[in-house]
Amino acid sequence: MSAISLQNISRHFGDFAAVDGVDLEAATGEFLTLLGPSGCGKTTTLRMVAGLEQNTGGRIVIGDEVVSDAERGFFMPPERRQLGMVFQSYAIWPHMTVFDNVAYPLRIRRRPKDEIQQRVTKALKLVEMDSFASRPAPALSGGQQQRVAIARALVFEPRVLLLDEPLSNLDARLRTQTGDEFRALQKRLGITSLYVTHDQGEAMSLSDRVVVMQKGRILQIGAPEDIYQRPRSRAVAEFFGAPNLVETTVRGCKQLANGLFELDVAGQGWSGTCRAGEAFASGVPALVMLRPETLTLADAATGGMSWTGEVASSIFRGAQRSLVVKTVAGALNVDTTAFAHPAVGSQVAIVADAAAAWALPATRQG
Amino acid sequence: MSELSAPSPTGGAMAGARVGATTPARGLSGLVSRRGLGMAALILLLSFLTIYPFSMLMYGSLHSTPPGMAGEYNLDGYRQLMTREALGILLNTIGISLGKTIPSLGLAVFLAWIIARTDTPYRDKLEVLITLPFFIPPILTAMAWAMLGNPQVGLLNQVFKWATGANYSPINVYSWGGVVWHMVQYSTPFLFLFIVDVFRAMDPSLEESSRMCGASRLRTFGGITLMLMLPALTNSFILSFIRGMENFESPLFFGTPAKITVITTEMYNSINHHATPDYQYATAIGFAVMALMFLLVFAQWRILRGRSFATVTGKGYSPSVMKLGKWRWVTFGFCALFFAVTVVLPVSQLLIGSFFRFFGFYQWDMLTTEHYQAVFSSSEIWRAVTNTMMLGLVGATLTMALGAIVAYISVRTKWRGRRVIDALAWLPWMMPGMVLGIGFLWAFAMLPGPIPIYGTIWALLLAYLALGTPVATRVMTGAYAQLSFDLEECSRVHGASFFQTLWRILVALAWPSFAVGWVLTFFGIMRELSASVLLYSVGSEVLSVVLMKLWANGLAEQVSVIGLLMMLLVILFRWVQIKILQRYVTTLGA
Repeated sequence: MSAISLQNISRHFGDFAAVDGVDLEAATGEFLTLLGPSGCGKTTTLRMVAGLEQNTGGRIVIGDEVVSDAERGFFMPPERRQLGMVFQSYAIWPHMTVFDNVAYPLRIRRRPKDEIQQRVTKALKLVEMDSFASRPAPALSGGQQQRVAIARALVFEPRVLLLDEPLSNLDARLRTQTGDEFRALQKRLGITSLYVTHDQGEAMSLSDRVVVMQKGRILQIGAPEDIYQRPRSRAVAEFFGAPNLVETTVRGCKQLANGLFELDVAGQGWSGTCRAGEAFASGVPALVMLRPETLTLADAATGGMSWTGEVASSIFRGAQRSLVVKTVAGALNVDTTAFAHPAVGSQVAIVADAAAAWALPATRQG
Repeated sequence: MSELSAPSPTGGAMAGARVGATTPARGLSGLVSRRGLGMAALILLLSFLTIYPFSMLMYGSLHSTPPGMAGEYNLDGYRQLMTREALGILLNTIGISLGKTIPSLGLAVFLAWIIARTDTPYRDKLEVLITLPFFIPPILTAMAWAMLGNPQVGLLNQVFKWATGANYSPINVYSWGGVVWHMVQYSTPFLFLFIVDVFRAMDPSLEESSRMCGASRLRTFGGITLMLMLPALTNSFILSFIRGMENFESPLFFGTPAKITVITTEMYNSINHHATPDYQYATAIGFAVMALMFLLVFAQWRILRGRSFATVTGKGYSPSVMKLGKWRWVTFGFCALFFAVTVVLPVSQLLIGSFFRFFGFYQWDMLTTEHYQAVFSSSEIWRAVTNTMMLGLVGATLTMALGAIVAYISVRTKWRGRRVIDALAWLPWMMPGMVLGIGFLWAFAMLPGPIPIYGTIWALLLAYLALGTPVATRVMTGAYAQLSFDLEECSRVHGASFFQTLWRILVALAWPSFAVGWVLTFFGIMRELSASVLLYSVGSEVLSVVLMKLWANGLAEQVSVIGLLMMLLVILFRWVQIKILQRYVTTLGA
């Protein structure tokens, strides 16, 4: 049974569709991330699950309970859906102490006093904020407010936890640390989580599955590795980093044992093999995605997917060095170790890892 | 020290732009001294507008005779304050002000909630209408309500008698209730203007998170929304309470006939209606009022210290709007009713009153335009119109210019003495118009012979300047605060001098606020009565004073004519103000 099930849900503002026919299932205990640029409809989708916005089409089921059904005109208000939510601004009430903030959901549910005391303390311990219980909320740092917001969302053991860009207001270092801690906590509690972010790194490192959205529609759903290494379309590929997309023509195609396909592709003056997720006919154009970190420098071109070219620019990034190399396959971005140091203007050879080269249909949009 | 000897980089850039790089040191010292002179002049001007009348007030309260006459120093004025009668007046004032502030606050919160948080139809239009009473000079509606609610011939009572056949009058505005009712009409829109913005600016996720925690909409409103607004509500409550104690028109028109006296009318009476004006007593009251105001402002500061919750975020979602279903027409009706009662009713009374020969006798054969002829042919009224317009145009411009300079120095520079300037500009905030009026009365009388301000139109101009400066400064402070320093610094970096920057960037970007503040100040001058009535003399009457004199002479019909003309002006200016706001402020915000 799915913990959350979105069935063809839409949200229209007049003629504009913020969310357009989204289907999505989240398994119990799963960490599902909605990822996309701002305005792609991910937050609206989350808010429709929360009940803070009403879907104009489709059905939302949480557990085995229908919470919203546009066709039947049924809508359950947010307070009755039993969901926990963490907001981007944390929404910690400044007129209350940390304890009162976390106790609020239990007081609303009229739990006895000693139970409130015990459960709030437990929730605060979970996020390591128990020593701050009597602090007034405005006296907390951003990271601390974030922990309190998580404690408040978890304290009444909600069916699902919703998180709306909860890390985006933290500074970079705290963001990674808090994200990792939260992921560990989520796994330990086994709570189904629906997470919204525009940060690819967060989506990759936290999620069981990632849902890439654009213009109100889902482009692709899959494990982080799938989305990153085996995108279905150019839009998904380009959403992560700066991949090289090389125009080629398919010359041959054969299915591999693991269900993938191996393609024989040719560009201008070169040819090689790459992987694909679907069968391609011979003679059709294909875009081959080469992630910059899968390209390596070599002494000389070795045939297959390898090229020589002139280094057009070289940027030191600390852990790695980003090169742009002009080849017959176009200007290629190459991420190499920071110790390799080819001079700008010098000739280098680049070799692609055939297992990491991934073909996309050249014509598919979105 | 650091300010003068080690000029800030901005000072250096300014000097460099002016005199070139070869003689930076000389250019700099010349600039510093010029700035010092400017600051000194500004402090002097502000002191003349505030400290000077303030000290005259103190002198007056301790001296047995008006300035220039032989007398002695004593405490008689304060001794009079200690009587049971004076204490009763003080309690009366507090009672009336509390009596009007509490219902006004409730009404304002309800109206603000309707406008900001429900799907009531035509909310944007209703908002303009609800706030309109705030811009109408109170003396106009006071006179209109005196005609509407007169126990003998008031229109409302006549309609009631006609409709029910009863032979008694249910409404009498000359009462405690009448005073409070007239004040409520003004403090509700005043409070509304504050509260509606608080409703709008609140981060919606603070409320949404409460809903997600399982709280219903109602519980969220009571437990979260109102609690978060508490500092702002306290703040506006105290502000409104202070304004209630300063109010002059309502107790003058409705309280005095019913023998209800408050502080302001007591001051007015002790100067104008005693056989020999009792200046010492009046100034002693004035001083006591200021002490009280100071305590209130201090209390406000103490209560609110550290309690202004930052609930505002820049995130895109606006607070959720509640769908009221059929009830939205009820809320619409409520807002419309408020407008009808506070604006339509008094304006209609003025309209009716202006066309009948005698107010109160509404028969067809009494229709006339003779009042219009009388008003338009009266040289005294024309003079008052000219005076008011001149004072309004010049006064508003000067006040806003002063406010713009004070605000700029206090929020945008680190110049020495900026805190003094800021404090001086704020001082009149604690001086009711009546108190400032008395202070100026004596201040001008004490000036040496060659400076003839006493009894001239200049006296009024200076008083208006002092009264308007706090608001003007506040408006411009808000305008500058919205402009990021980057804009200014960017302009400087790209080679513009200090004054070019001030002119190009700040004036160009802050002018909508300037215009809005200008209209606000203009309204303030047009409606001003309590200081004007003390400072005018023959030849320098303003409209509000003329209205009061006509009213005292029983010429309610001519009052109606002038009132209507002033109403037209109010609506015209308010319309212009809204147009400016819509065109510039919203596009700047978006």
